Amino acid sequence: MAKFTFIFHGGAFVTPGLSPTEMQEHLNKWHAWVATFMKAGRHHVSQPLENRGKIVRGAERIITDGPFAESKDLVTGSLTIEAASLDEAAVLARDCPIYEFDGFVEVRPILELER
Amino acid sequence: MADADTTGLVEDLFRRESAHLVAALTRLLGPSNLSLAEDVVQDALLRAMDAWRFGAPRDPKAWILQAAKNRAIDIIRRDRRLARLPELESEWTLPGAVASALSPAEDAANQLAMMFSICDEALSPETHITLILRLLCGLSPAEIARAFLMDTATIDRRLHRGRARLQGLGHLHDVSDPRDVCARQPSVLHALYLLFSEGYHGSDAENPLHPVMCSDAIRLAELLLASPATDHASAHALGALFCFNAARLSTRLDDAGILVPLAAQDRAQWDRALTERGVMHLAGASAGHRLTRWHLEAGIACEHTIAPSVQETNWARIVALYDELLAETPGPIVAMNRALAVAELRGLDEGRRALQAVASDEKLSGYHFFWASLADIERRAGRPTEARALYERAMALSRSPAERGAYQRKIALLED
Repeated sequence: MAKFTFIFHGGAFVTPGLSPTEMQEHLNKWHAWVATFMKAGRHHVSQPLENRGKIVRGAERIITDGPFAESKDLVTGSLTIEAASLDEAAVLARDCPIYEFDGFVEVRPILELER
Repeated sequence: MADADTTGLVEDLFRRESAHLVAALTRLLGPSNLSLAEDVVQDALLRAMDAWRFGAPRDPKAWILQAAKNRAIDIIRRDRRLARLPELESEWTLPGAVASALSPAEDAANQLAMMFSICDEALSPETHITLILRLLCGLSPAEIARAFLMDTATIDRRLHRGRARLQGLGHLHDVSDPRDVCARQPSVLHALYLLFSEGYHGSDAENPLHPVMCSDAIRLAELLLASPATDHASAHALGALFCFNAARLSTRLDDAGILVPLAAQDRAQWDRALTERGVMHLAGASAGHRLTRWHLEAGIACEHTIAPSVQETNWARIVALYDELLAETPGPIVAMNRALAVAELRGLDEGRRALQAVASDEKLSGYHFFWASLADIERRAGRPTEARALYERAMALSRSPAERGAYQRKIALLED
C-alpha cells in the first residue's frame, strides 16, 4: 500500500449563503465518506484548515493577507489515505461530497524518502 | 476529535443553534445590528462544518457556541460602537458579558424577545411568518420560498421589509413588559398558527407536509408557555391544537405520497405522547376567561384525535364547537367543515344541504376538497354517477399528484 494525499479545494466551505440544514446535511455526507476509509481499515490522517491565513512571498519575504475565502479554489484541508495505486486513490476521491458545491480534489502520491 | 462514524450529530443541530444564537446576538448587539448577528452565526456554522469534516467534537453545541462567542468578542473589540452596554466596553468584563448573553439559560428569553419583536403591527402576517422561519427556525430564503411556492426574490423582499422594521427598534421587545405582551400576543399566536398550518397542509402541493415546521411551531408555542409573562390560556389552546394535529401527522400521507382521508387512517399509529401533551395543554387552556378560536379549534382537533373511530367520534360536540367557531371567525372553510360534521351527526341529506348552502362561495367553488366532500356524500348515499362527476370536478381542481391520486382511488372504488 502506498500513501496518497487528497488536497481539497473550494466546495461548501467557500460557498456563501448555505442554510444551516444544507450545512448539516453536507457535513453528514463527509462523515459517511470518511467512515468508509475507517471501515476499509485504511490508515488515514486528516487536516482541516481555517479559511484565513498569511502568504509570505518573494526575496523580500513580504507578508500579505490571504488566501481569501472568496477564492473558489482555496485549499480547505487535506486527507492522507492508503491505496494500491494513484488510479485507485483517484477513484476513492470520486465519492467525496466536495463536488456538490463545485469544489475539487487534487490527488497526490506521497513521496517516500526511505524505501 | 472523536471518530466521525461514532459521533452522529443531533438532527437539526445547525438549525436550532442558528435560531438560538441569532436571537441572543441580536438582543446583545441591538436589532440595528441584526444583519451582523446573522453574519456571526453564519460564520460560526461555516467554521463548524469546515472543522468537523473528519469528525465531530465531543460537545458540538458547545463548540458552535464558543465559535460564535469568539467571533462576537472579536467584532466588538474592533468596533467599539457595538459596545452598547457598559459591561461590553471594558476588556475585563467583555468576555463574561458575551458569554452570559449567549448562555443557554437565556435561550427562552432571547427567542421570546425576537418573536414578539417580529410580530409588529406594522408588518403583515405573511412577513411575520417569513421572519420567524428565517430568524427563529433557521431556514434560508430559498427554503422558505420552496415551502410557500414563491420565488426567492419575493421572500427576500419580505425579509428586507421585516429586517428594516426590526432594525429601527432600539431594542428587542422584552416579554417582561406586560403591555407589549398583551398587544402582541394575538399576532404571535396567529403567526405560529400559520407556521403550523404551512407544515400541516402547506402551499407546496407536490410536497404538502413539512413536519419540521410543525415541530418548530410546537417548540415556539411551548416557549410561550414556559414564561410566566406569556403563559396565557390562549397559548395553551394553540399548543393543544398543534399537539392534537401533529399526533396525526404521520398517517396523513401513505407510502406512495397520496393523502389518506381521516376515515382510512391507521389510528394505532397516531402519536399517543403528543395526544397526551395536547390534553395537558387543553386543561391549561380552560383556565382562561375568554374562549378564543384556538380553544374551539383545539376542542375539535381533540375530539378527532381521541375518538377510536369515525363512527365513535363525538360529532354532537364537534358540530357544537363548529357553531361557536363560525360565530367567532366566520368563513367558508369553517362552514364547509361544519357541514361535514353535520353529515356525520344528522345524516347525509342534512350534510348535503349544508354543503350546498355554501357552494356559491367563490373560494369553495374553486376548492377541490369541497367537491370531493360532496362526492363522498353522494357515494355514501349510493349515487355513484353523481359521485363520479363530482370526484372528476375535484380532480380537475386539484393541485398535486397526492390529491389526484386520492380521488382516482375513490373513483376506482365506485366501480367495484
